[in-house]
Amino acid sequence: MANIVLDNVSRTFGRDGKEFLALDKVSYVCNDGEFVAVVGPSGCGKTTCMRMAAGLEFPSSGSVKVGGKEVKEPGPDRAVVFQAFALFPWKTVQENIQFGLRSLGVGREEAAERIAKNLKLMNLEGYETAYPHQLSGGMQQRVAIARAYVLNPDVLLMDEPFGALDAQTRTVMQEELLRVGRANPRTVMFITHAVEEAVYLADRVVVMTRRPGTIKEIIDVKPVRDAEDWQKYERIEDVMDLESFVHLRTRIWRLLREQHGPGDH
Amino acid sequence: MGDKLQNRRLMWLSATGLLIFFGLWTFAAWVELAPRKFLPLPWDVVERGFALMSRPFSGQTLQGHLAASIDRYLRGFLLAAAVGVPLGLLMGWYRWLDNMITPLFDSLRFIAPIAWVPFAALWFGTGIGGPTMIIFAGAFPPCLINAYRGARFVEKKYIEAAQVYGASGPRIIYEVLLPASLPSIIAGLRIGAGAGWQSLIGAELIAANSGIGLMMVRGQGALDTSIVMVGMIAVGLFGLLVDVALRGVEAWVNHKRGH
Amino acid sequence: MSATLRDNARLWTGTATVVGLVGLWLIGSASGFISAQNFPSPEQFFAAAKQLVVGEGFADGRIHEHMLQSVKLILLGFFAATAIGVPLGLWMGWSRTAEALVNPIFLLVRPIPALAWIPLAIVWLGLGDAAKVMILWFAAFVPSVINSFTGVRSIERPIIEASAMLGVRGWTLVKDVIVPGALPSIFTGLRLSLQGCLTALVAAELLGALLGMGKVLYQAGLDIYPAMILAGMVAVAIVGFGLTAILDFVERRSMPWRTTH
Repeated sequence: MANIVLDNVSRTFGRDGKEFLALDKVSYVCNDGEFVAVVGPSGCGKTTCMRMAAGLEFPSSGSVKVGGKEVKEPGPDRAVVFQAFALFPWKTVQENIQFGLRSLGVGREEAAERIAKNLKLMNLEGYETAYPHQLSGGMQQRVAIARAYVLNPDVLLMDEPFGALDAQTRTVMQEELLRVGRANPRTVMFITHAVEEAVYLADRVVVMTRRPGTIKEIIDVKPVRDAEDWQKYERIEDVMDLESFVHLRTRIWRLLREQHGPGDH
Repeated sequence: MGDKLQNRRLMWLSATGLLIFFGLWTFAAWVELAPRKFLPLPWDVVERGFALMSRPFSGQTLQGHLAASIDRYLRGFLLAAAVGVPLGLLMGWYRWLDNMITPLFDSLRFIAPIAWVPFAALWFGTGIGGPTMIIFAGAFPPCLINAYRGARFVEKKYIEAAQVYGASGPRIIYEVLLPASLPSIIAGLRIGAGAGWQSLIGAELIAANSGIGLMMVRGQGALDTSIVMVGMIAVGLFGLLVDVALRGVEAWVNHKRGH
Repeated sequence: MSATLRDNARLWTGTATVVGLVGLWLIGSASGFISAQNFPSPEQFFAAAKQLVVGEGFADGRIHEHMLQSVKLILLGFFAATAIGVPLGLWMGWSRTAEALVNPIFLLVRPIPALAWIPLAIVWLGLGDAAKVMILWFAAFVPSVINSFTGVRSIERPIIEASAMLGVRGWTLVKDVIVPGALPSIFTGLRLSLQGCLTALVAAELLGALLGMGKVLYQAGLDIYPAMILAGMVAVAIVGFGLTAILDFVERRSMPWRTTH
């Protein structure tokens, strides 16, 4: 496993000769084995941070390091779960999940074993030969997560993975992610704009400001979760009823609210 | 009017349209608006077609000419596809290749394939290379362009997913660009097939010793309109067959993708 | 890379490639690797081009006479065909009755490539201009009908329903709704028609003509004059490029509401 370190990262975009500062000296860390959620208003650059850790974009200044090494290109050690699933429509579920394994040079037998294990983990048994368009949104995202998990990556990057799902499916997926994450903890950077989701899933929540994006505050959720023993509650709605949960959620909401002026909506 | 009734009415209209067309033709031929030599009856043409299947004209029977044409056509078309599609995909990925070839291609594009005939005749005589080259000139551009555009316009998310999950150039081209562009590639093949067939006929009209085109030119020389028309029908039918077959493939691919 | 940087890269690489190829041509011809019998050297090409343009001409005429002849026939055939084809396609697109009536005949004619009409045209009209215009007519007719048809059919339902609701009818309907809606497709059809005409004309002129680009090519082939063949091909490309550029210009001007990409 590895950690993600963003050190004084800035990013400017140029368009039509004008330059926009998207990120302004952003610094934070996702420690080894930690689940960090990043929330912020639209356009604050939270997804850009993740894409830089993934190696899909690069900072204009500052550095992004994973496991101590600067990120130069994308790779299976930093698996990404995309908001739009990005499953290959012409490949079956099995073939999609297998894609990264082939890049790692994993032998056929071992690959089959790992795929079977992850299919079971994500409740996808029986769907090996189905094509993405035959599956619901929730199932497609499960495949996308399985595709990432099967690689046992050092780092997992998730870009609003449940954003394209309906509310009920979303809740189910959040519970599953937590369950699966407990069984196999790893370093996760989880981008979302849904505050409740962030508080439910994360050990720490990074709250960003609107553009140009900076860090507003970083909130420790884990101590509260451990102290109040959230894990003993099976269902998400029970956790969300807890006072400690509500308190954190409201705190983060307020932080986000402050950034919108009176004339903003 | 109900839908079913509407469809029936339309069918009758279509039948009427056809009848009018053939009726006028037959009438004009019958009353010899032009000498029978120039305006044969529809039936005469059909009869002639069957005759040509057993009695050779200009060296071959109808089937013989058709086979010769199809043989050349397939060589030229398959070559165009085998070169055009992979090259298009490669150009879609490797920018430097694109930068090299596209300007060249853009300037050559305006030369009608048929304009290559004099060179083809010069270099290959009546050998097989000549028509193959003309067909290639006609079929190559659509095959290349469609593969290229298909590859260039693949949604970024698929390329990023492939890169994240460890694929590099060649693997991306084969496992992502190719399947993603398949609909565009097949459309390109379909257009190329039509262009190639047209180029072949043109080439055969001018420089060949067998083939449907030659048969038509000889028929024209003999002022035998029936033979010319038989040739036209044969050309049309084969072209239609290929087009329908490729449309079928197109539809099947789209179906498998869930469109 | 920013857009301008990318464009520059393309410009430089493209120019470099062309220059490189011309260099190869020079070397190949000079060294004898490219046999002068098969392909002209650059000097021979320029000599032929000069002859065609400012010299004594070739195949009974100078380049502008040939070009003019070819262009004249193309314009005749093109306009005659599209003047009938576009309205017909629009009508078939709009009226199911018209479609049902005309389509079967059209389906019979459609698969026959334009070049396949050449022998018939020659039988009926001889080797003169009339036969060529007939061939050009068939080359331009089919694409213009099909694309006008598609153009009408692709007009979105809500627009048609809005027109009906607003009581737009008759000539106004055609002028203000149908034609503008179908215009992009119509122009695609016109472009295909033009390409078809160029191909068909060169072919027809290759078979028999007194003047024209095809005649130049034919004569050069007969005389085994590779330099002139090449000059003829370049001339064909220039005519094609020129006519297409004019069509593009008309297209852009006639659809100001359309964003270019």
